[in-house]
Amino acid sequence: MECQHVSYQYSHQTHGLHDLTGTFPTGQVTTIIGPNGAGKSTLLNLLAQRLPVQAGQILLDQQPIAQLKPKALAQQVAMVTQRHQLYDELTVREVVATGRLPYHGLLQAVPDAEVTPYLAANGLTELATTLMQDLSGGQQQRVWLAAALAQAPSVLLLDEPTTYLDVHFQQVLMTQLRQLAAQGMTVIQVLHDINQAFRASDWLWLLQDGKLVASGTPAQLRDAQLLAQVFATPIEIVDVPQLGPYIVQIPQ
Amino acid sequence: MSKSSGWWYGGVLVLLLATGVLALMAGTTWIGLPQVIYAASHPGSTTFVTVFSLRLPRVLSSLICGGSLAVAGALFQAVFRNPIADPSILGISSAADFFKLGGALLLPWLPGRNWVMAVVGGLVALIILTSGRALADPYRLIIVGVALDATFVGLQQLVSSGAAQVSRSTFNGTTWTDATTVLILGALGLIGALLLAPWANYLKLTDDALKSVGMPVNVIRWSLLLLGMYLAVSVTAVVGAIPFVGIVVPNVARRLVGHDYQTLVPFTMLAGAWLMLAADTLGRTVIVPSEISAATMMAVIGGPFVIILLQRGRGFHGMSTR
Repeated sequence: MECQHVSYQYSHQTHGLHDLTGTFPTGQVTTIIGPNGAGKSTLLNLLAQRLPVQAGQILLDQQPIAQLKPKALAQQVAMVTQRHQLYDELTVREVVATGRLPYHGLLQAVPDAEVTPYLAANGLTELATTLMQDLSGGQQQRVWLAAALAQAPSVLLLDEPTTYLDVHFQQVLMTQLRQLAAQGMTVIQVLHDINQAFRASDWLWLLQDGKLVASGTPAQLRDAQLLAQVFATPIEIVDVPQLGPYIVQIPQ
Repeated sequence: MSKSSGWWYGGVLVLLLATGVLALMAGTTWIGLPQVIYAASHPGSTTFVTVFSLRLPRVLSSLICGGSLAVAGALFQAVFRNPIADPSILGISSAADFFKLGGALLLPWLPGRNWVMAVVGGLVALIILTSGRALADPYRLIIVGVALDATFVGLQQLVSSGAAQVSRSTFNGTTWTDATTVLILGALGLIGALLLAPWANYLKLTDDALKSVGMPVNVIRWSLLLLGMYLAVSVTAVVGAIPFVGIVVPNVARRLVGHDYQTLVPFTMLAGAWLMLAADTLGRTVIVPSEISAATMMAVIGGPFVIILLQRGRGFHGMSTR
């Protein structure tokens, strides 16, 4: 997936995205990082076509995604958002089944047999008939991820996927994303935890004020001066035994 | 469908059958079951006329109207994501009633006048309701709806003070012509509702979530909204505005058979049919030879229900708009 001169401007607001050009390597985990208001979520929403690209284009397999029909796009790109909301009761199975909707007609039901493998693969078989509202935040997150994977996408977008997870499940999720990438999926996520981003990614996009400041491997971007300038705070990179380089903010 | 849902389905079917038979027997004159059966094979007898020309069309009309109103409420609740949304409380029915009156005064030559005018009225109310910010805020929606309802009721009173009352809101005097109209209009809408019930389930997700799986949210929303409006105004066109059926029945039904619209819509249809028939039968038998209109019966039953539903704070259970 790649961006070519992509811009987006919110009406009545100063921030937006300005002339972004760059690629998200296929089969790798890319993390978008940057300070608040840099445009990380906006970029993710553009990649998912939840917001229309105002200038430039986003290409998927050399084809502009704006030209794809909604269902065709949903078969290629899936998104797990920060906070999912339900207006009424749905069971885990019903939520995961929504991931199969792009493969069926509007009046066709999703066969159970199509949903079951995705429940099993995400450890949700036991919870299949449980109502979403009876699950913990972490479990709900797993269900939404399973629903996104049920779309069988080639690109998986995740906005702050670790927000409702404890440290253990954060680790589990990051490992799972690595595995998905290893199977050929392009994983693109937004993370606030900068160290997690450097540890869990193959590729990084560094955004500031709606512009792409730098993109590259974690090793290429592990530059205290660059990060200090982008995050507008003194930053030092220290070596922690058994963990490797660790980015710390120095109190002013 | 779960086992307990099966029992509730069985229960409502038994109630329907029992109340249906009772409704044919009860009235100004009590006609025993043997006489009803006897009359069936003796057309032309006085009993036959009472049972099959007066009571049966009325029974059928109230069944279809009850089912239509209840399903219309369930569909509105799904679309507006609000458990007390309903065409009667949101001013759709009273707009239809007002336009029906306007049609009678200004366009008496119009073919299918009552129905056409009721649909126009329903559409006007729907457009006003959905054009502003009411859609985004469940409380604003209800307040706008109540204001709309009051406006159209007021307009109708303003106009009708100088004209004959067109709207009766009662099943009294229902003829076979009325019953046939209701049957055809109602059956079409109810079949549509059964087919589109899965769409109501989709609207439990946010618009964004639906769009990201390629679903045409607006097509789904407007199809269900127009279908609900059609069901409600078809009742208004023939009988008049009857309040609360669409709030009471789906909310009780959710407690009994759950929130899956594929189970909920058929159950709501049956339970609504039963409630309307029971209310109408009770209304025409408690103060014989006079009678209480179906609208009055439903206001007396439904008003307190909505108050309890909201005051106990469980009304928004499972449908929180957060």
